[in-house]
Amino acid sequence: MSLSRRGVVLLAAAGLFLGGCGGQGSTGDSGGGTSSSSAKVTVEWWNISTTEPMKSFWAKKVKEYQALHPNVTIKNVPIENEAFKAKLSTVTQSGKTPDIYTTWGGGVLKQQIDAGLVKDLTSEAATWIADFTPASLQAYQFDQKTYGIPYDIGMVGFWYNKALFAKAGVTVPPATWTEYLDAVRKLKAAGITPIALAGKEKWPGHYYWAYLAMRIAGLDALKQAAIDDDFTGPDFVAAGARLKELVDLQPFQKGFLGAGYGTPDGQAATVGNGKAAMELMGQWAPVVQKDAGKGLGDDLGFFGFPSVEGGKGSATDAFGGGNGFAVGVNAPPEAADFLKFISESANHRQAVEMNALLPVLKGEEDAVKDVNLGVVAKTLAGASGFQLYLDQAYPPAVGQEVNDSVAALIAGSKTPDQVAQAITQTAKSE
Amino acid sequence: MTRPALTDERPAPTAGSPRTAGPAATPSARRRRFGGLATITLFLLPALVLFGLLVLAPIAVAMYTSVFKWNGLGGMPSDFVGLDNFTRMFADEVFVGDLRRGLVLIVLSITVQLPLALAIAMLLNQKMRGRAFYRLLFFAPYVLSEVITGVLFTMILSPEAGLANQMLGAAGLESLRSSWLAEPSTVMMSLFLVMTWKYFGFHMILYLAGRQGIPKELGEAASIDGAGSWTQFRYVTLPLLGPTIRISVFLSVIGAIQLFDLVWVLTSGGPIHSSETMAVTMFQFGFKRSQVGYASAISVVMFLISLVFALGYQRFVLRRDTEGAITTMRDQR
Amino acid sequence: MTAPAQAPARTPGHARPAAPVRLPWLRSLSLHAIVLVLGAFVVVPFVFGVVGGFKDTGQLSTNPFGLPSPWVPENYTDILASGSFWRQLVNSTFIALATMVITVGLAAMAAFVFARFAFRGRELLFTLFAVGLMFPFAVAILPLFILLRTLGLLDNPFGVVLPQAAFGLPVTIIVLRSFFRTIPREVEEAATIDGCTSFGFFWRILLPMARPALATVSVLAIVASWNNFFLPLVIFNDPNWSTIPLGVQQFYGQYSSDTARILAYVVLAMVPALAFYAVAERQLIGGLTAGATKG
Repeated sequence: MSLSRRGVVLLAAAGLFLGGCGGQGSTGDSGGGTSSSSAKVTVEWWNISTTEPMKSFWAKKVKEYQALHPNVTIKNVPIENEAFKAKLSTVTQSGKTPDIYTTWGGGVLKQQIDAGLVKDLTSEAATWIADFTPASLQAYQFDQKTYGIPYDIGMVGFWYNKALFAKAGVTVPPATWTEYLDAVRKLKAAGITPIALAGKEKWPGHYYWAYLAMRIAGLDALKQAAIDDDFTGPDFVAAGARLKELVDLQPFQKGFLGAGYGTPDGQAATVGNGKAAMELMGQWAPVVQKDAGKGLGDDLGFFGFPSVEGGKGSATDAFGGGNGFAVGVNAPPEAADFLKFISESANHRQAVEMNALLPVLKGEEDAVKDVNLGVVAKTLAGASGFQLYLDQAYPPAVGQEVNDSVAALIAGSKTPDQVAQAITQTAKSE
Repeated sequence: MTRPALTDERPAPTAGSPRTAGPAATPSARRRRFGGLATITLFLLPALVLFGLLVLAPIAVAMYTSVFKWNGLGGMPSDFVGLDNFTRMFADEVFVGDLRRGLVLIVLSITVQLPLALAIAMLLNQKMRGRAFYRLLFFAPYVLSEVITGVLFTMILSPEAGLANQMLGAAGLESLRSSWLAEPSTVMMSLFLVMTWKYFGFHMILYLAGRQGIPKELGEAASIDGAGSWTQFRYVTLPLLGPTIRISVFLSVIGAIQLFDLVWVLTSGGPIHSSETMAVTMFQFGFKRSQVGYASAISVVMFLISLVFALGYQRFVLRRDTEGAITTMRDQR
Repeated sequence: MTAPAQAPARTPGHARPAAPVRLPWLRSLSLHAIVLVLGAFVVVPFVFGVVGGFKDTGQLSTNPFGLPSPWVPENYTDILASGSFWRQLVNSTFIALATMVITVGLAAMAAFVFARFAFRGRELLFTLFAVGLMFPFAVAILPLFILLRTLGLLDNPFGVVLPQAAFGLPVTIIVLRSFFRTIPREVEEAATIDGCTSFGFFWRILLPMARPALATVSVLAIVASWNNFFLPLVIFNDPNWSTIPLGVQQFYGQYSSDTARILAYVVLAMVPALAFYAVAERQLIGGLTAGATKG
């Protein structure tokens, strides 16, 4: 056997050789107590910026920070969004987190906080946390404590093709649900597919139900429902019923139940190629329409979700979410310090000016160059209230049940009442 | 050591036994029995250690969590719920649907996919120009990653501008056009189509290897006897391929029960759960809803179903192969 | 193995090497026709993928099935010119080969024992191995991850190789055992008479004779390792260790992905795995008789 053992050692040696001198980074166990600035510290940072321009932007910021703090090494690990979620969930389940990692706040972050994995930044970031807009911080705050630092935020609204709307004789973007349904009818009558929807992915469908619930029941009712685990109130059933009205008009593209979002034949490409008149989507929609399809150029317009007659919610309440960073409970103080650095106005503003991020700091709106993003930033700044994506705000099981049930409603296999029941049932069992 | 395959030339097993069972063999048999035990241990141990440590132990831990309500965070689970996760599962119509769909996939695999793989393997075993190339071609889908298979086929089967519909249209078969993956009534057929494309290469190379193990002389002898190629296949090749076919069926069934990646990238189990498999449901709960305890329970059920099948299969089907085994050790017992 | 014994029993005397039967040209033609029709079914998605790699993503969306206009060879050339692709290729190759060596080595030894020895508890042990096939890997990832971290195998290629080998053992053992059994007992008897030990029989006779089977399971082990995504994702933080499936992530953004690049990347990444199959294929053609005469 000695021969084969030697073989294994040889293989291992070959492995080290092939890998260069990788694998010497410590995994955040650098001991929290090293406040003296001379000790060597490594901060492991997982983020989801695998594409340009943010990938290079972060890399540049890491270099700048390390130049200012020669004793600190920021280990920058960009991981693709879906892969990141799988990887992070494995690592957090094993009882550890990276020193800094991307978070979207809400229910998932809450579970991590409850498990004692996330650092409370309230005091460490006390001096600079006031620079952020309240809406951008909301997703990361629980019981007056702050557990995450935002770096991007946006909102959902209708992105529409002005030329197709004009062709169907819709000259003014609809302001009420009735007008909206009328617009859909006119588009259909003109032989235009009114709406593109990624039925396979479910989360784009939940935007409709969530916005309708916000407009009909109001923000406070949504918050209360989450606390009481009860979504069976008449307003929530009404939200489903309104959505059903839309679905009954058959406004979606052919085969939408199997369509993805960013794929070459998905929701974004369908709108971007002028095959459908609009989509309900977040601030990234224009970029994806262009990446996955042709893009609409000047024909692209944005309007907020219409109000619903007799609803309790305000038409200026915004629905959306953003990206932020959380810090692991055992991370060295340098982790928060690095977040402070990238959140400094001079640094964050650069990314906003590149149209890569939207403003999270107060008074940053003027830095937005892109017209469409400018509209989003302005609408968001003037919003009367803010609701985080429901599949993000609620515990994961409840959020996914919202997505699932609404998808079933859109596919015609659940009634508005059954949707409310299913969400409530899951919420109660959590 | 020449022509080991010509069994009729060699003494029949019974005729051979005096040689090994002769009185002179007794001391050497004792030595060999000891040697046999040592060999068994030595040969089996490395695989057992690796397997026990890295497969069985994690599986055991995962099974343990199936009787808890657990979101996967905060150390080990503590909220013991007994068999609640299991009763919940069988009350869930999606999961019960998973069972039905799994069965459909198994039946289709065995009746369509495997015969196709066998037929192609036999075709590609003929002497023909470009055979190596064809084999490479037919094996290629198996090498392609699942994710890209998903990307390619969602575009090919796209309801609006997909290649499949365009070609059907061009061939004047408009009535056969369909929404494929986007329609609950056609999604399973479409999924199976892609599955066949992707996985038949796996079974094909098993059959090719098995076919290579059949001595040429048998086929030649049969053809001298005047057997046609079909008769040859039916009475010589097919029976000799028996062990390979039985293994291939076994792996195919287990594979259908565990099917995940391809479904996930093609449909994520939709529309409205109509192509969901047990593994997809498990993944939904484990990774999307962070109900790790419930997800573990689903995987335990998957495991038990596979196990019952495997034991039954071993008992009633593979047994024949086992009996054919020749063992030095048994001769001496 | 009862049915086949009847077939040779009908043979008169012993088989003279029969004259190779020349295929009539008609038969050969129809053979080609069948293979070509089936081949078209297989090849269309590939052609679409390869050609798609020459488009940009906009073209893929507006003109998915036509020829690219203009052609965008940069998708391929940029990847080939980037250092990270080659490093990932080396990593993937090393991990795949190491996995194959360990899987096939250990499995062959175990399969030999399972196939040719009778001992108490054999079927139980064998079933134990088969059990590994029946549990979804994704569920076992968490305990496995904790174990590998304890063993200090994170950011280490063997943190991927060893679990892959362990999870590859069941299929490999099952397939090899079945093949090892088909080798006639007379071969073993003759070897014993010639003074072969068990190990000698295994090493000098059984393995050479089982070359087609060994080539087959090697290919399967390599392909499984080549496409493995989840395990390397969880084990490697250091981008220096990225494998091909991890590398393709760079073209996926948070909201949209560069599908054309992904196609180009995957087409290129397939080539080494297919090349390995082509090499192993020769072993498949080699076959039993050649191995036996050599032994």
